[in-house]
Amino acid sequence: MSPSSAHDVCVIGGGVTGAGIARDLCLRGLSVLLLEKGDWGGGTSGASSWMIHGGPRYLEFDWDTTRTSTKDAGYIVSIARNLVYRVVFLIPVLPHDRNNIERMETAMEVYDRFQPLKKAHPHRRLSRAEALQAEPGLTPDLIGAVTMEEWGVDPHRLVYANVQDAVAHGARALNHTRVVDLVRDGGKVIGVRYRGPDGVISEARARVVVNATGPWSPEVSGMAGVPVQLRPAKGIHIIYPHRISNFSISAESIDGRDLLMVSHSGFTLLGTTDDDFYGDLDSIDVLQDEVDYLLQGIERVFPTIRRYRPVRTTTGVRPTLYKWRRYEDELSRRYEVIDHAGEGVEGFVTIAGGKLSMYRLMAEQTSDAVCRKLGHQAPCTTATRPLPGNESDVEPPADLARRCGVPALAAVKLQTRHGSNAGKVLEEGGTGRLLCRCEPITEAELTFATRHEQVRSLADAFRRVGLAGGPCAGAACVMRAGEVIGHELGWSASQRFEAVREFVQGSWLGRAPVLGHAGWVQEEMAQGAMRGLKA
Amino acid sequence: MGRADSLVKLAWAYGLHQTRRRITRQRSELTDLLDTYAADGIRALEPAERERHPGMVGCINCGLCAFAAGRMGRSRLPDVAASYMRLYARLGAASSDVEGDDPDLGAAAAACPVGVPLAEVAAIVRRLSQG
Repeated sequence: MSPSSAHDVCVIGGGVTGAGIARDLCLRGLSVLLLEKGDWGGGTSGASSWMIHGGPRYLEFDWDTTRTSTKDAGYIVSIARNLVYRVVFLIPVLPHDRNNIERMETAMEVYDRFQPLKKAHPHRRLSRAEALQAEPGLTPDLIGAVTMEEWGVDPHRLVYANVQDAVAHGARALNHTRVVDLVRDGGKVIGVRYRGPDGVISEARARVVVNATGPWSPEVSGMAGVPVQLRPAKGIHIIYPHRISNFSISAESIDGRDLLMVSHSGFTLLGTTDDDFYGDLDSIDVLQDEVDYLLQGIERVFPTIRRYRPVRTTTGVRPTLYKWRRYEDELSRRYEVIDHAGEGVEGFVTIAGGKLSMYRLMAEQTSDAVCRKLGHQAPCTTATRPLPGNESDVEPPADLARRCGVPALAAVKLQTRHGSNAGKVLEEGGTGRLLCRCEPITEAELTFATRHEQVRSLADAFRRVGLAGGPCAGAACVMRAGEVIGHELGWSASQRFEAVREFVQGSWLGRAPVLGHAGWVQEEMAQGAMRGLKA
Repeated sequence: MGRADSLVKLAWAYGLHQTRRRITRQRSELTDLLDTYAADGIRALEPAERERHPGMVGCINCGLCAFAAGRMGRSRLPDVAASYMRLYARLGAASSDVEGDDPDLGAAAAACPVGVPLAEVAAIVRRLSQG
């Protein structure tokens, strides 16, 4: 075992909540160790619907929650300008829908009162003909439609931006590092024992340990001998590697749930399911039934959906708080900061439940609880302090492209990930040659991510720079990407090939449930290339 | 309590909405909608483009069309079909990439293993990039 280090706080869990807590505490002047067993944002955060929304659905339960979440969404939009973009929903109303168009518009009129808090525009109401003009792919059976604006976000970059800022303010942040035990002194948790990527076990002392592990919370709290009870809910999404429509579209599933076809910056995400989950959190399969359920729901309002080629699926488990009742949206938004001192375990705090849209607020309230325990008086500043890359305005992408010799579209995409730091990334990383042409991503960006953003595998590169997220699904870029990362990390030829093989194998689990004709053509070509290299 | 209170407030809002609908002259809001989001690149597809759209976004970036034809402006043809055709809302900021001559799009389309209509792809990318 290596010698121990000492910190004010150890945060376990590198999803958006854990990263947000680490940033918040560092900005308040505390020393923080942040540990993540996989990669930053690789669990529930990355498997979300990629949206910062205000929560119009809460209007049925509690308007204060809508106000709170809308206000917090407004903060996130302000501090992460480069990572967010407007997502405009068309909500078509069909003859036998749960809500008629008057009820639907009433809800949107109420929601409009909160929209300015997150810098969004009010709704519009469209007649049948107007809705079909805005989106000719909608079913001609519709009666009319209303619109609603939300914000899209890249959750992987949002998580990493929080990690990056925490590190810039003194945090030590380690990914691929699993906590194997808590260090206890009688009834008090005084640190953690963790295994790094090299297999070495280390120990760190902390005055407070925070459990921000989402659906893994019961497992970690079990190490302290206290129960945290969740009702984990599995959700899947189908990913199309392009915008199907410039508008996002809402639909009703066969069992009356809201489904969304969300148009993100360069892809479409269709989801989500919501089912109780009892299995292994580290091995979640997507079932054909779940894919069919989503397609059936969207097909009713967008009949040509099956003519589009999905490229993969994603799946994750929501850390929903435990309650013995039918699933409702009311259930899935609640969160709780638990100080386990009440159960006789000092120095241990769990944040359970919640969702991406409210991560900053959850982090603030958890940090408040930690500061109270430590007797540390410092205000939260995360609502107004910009995340890295947002300190100043970005330069026009055409200027950046000309200066650094990259295509303008590559400059646009680079700025969405790095904001005003995009030029620095290209300058330090070296060559502006395109690596992943679908996205597009330069070799310089991947080099930079490997040197400075803790990329240790091709899957990490997917999360950090979007590698293999486009139509080729990695067929055209993973081999070269393995070379670039391997060069930086000193991998041998066989290690590079093994990294590619591991990535392709991992991707296959998400691709198999949605492969159609074109998908199989692509698989044949990719596998052929792999076999050719191996021979 | 919270739920009952919320439902009462929604019922009141519904009454107001119905009254407003009765006494207010209705007007088209489509133009307002499209104007509001034009700066975000959120624009409607033409009905003909929508019909052909599934084929136009079918590129798997295998690169075979690059062997059959050259570049469109400064961009390789597979990149136009795989990357630019993803309908990035900010395609207007990248118009300089696709300005210039067209390659032999017929030959390129003939080489495509998944039947992407590359001439149509080139046309829509040009239209969207010009704003």
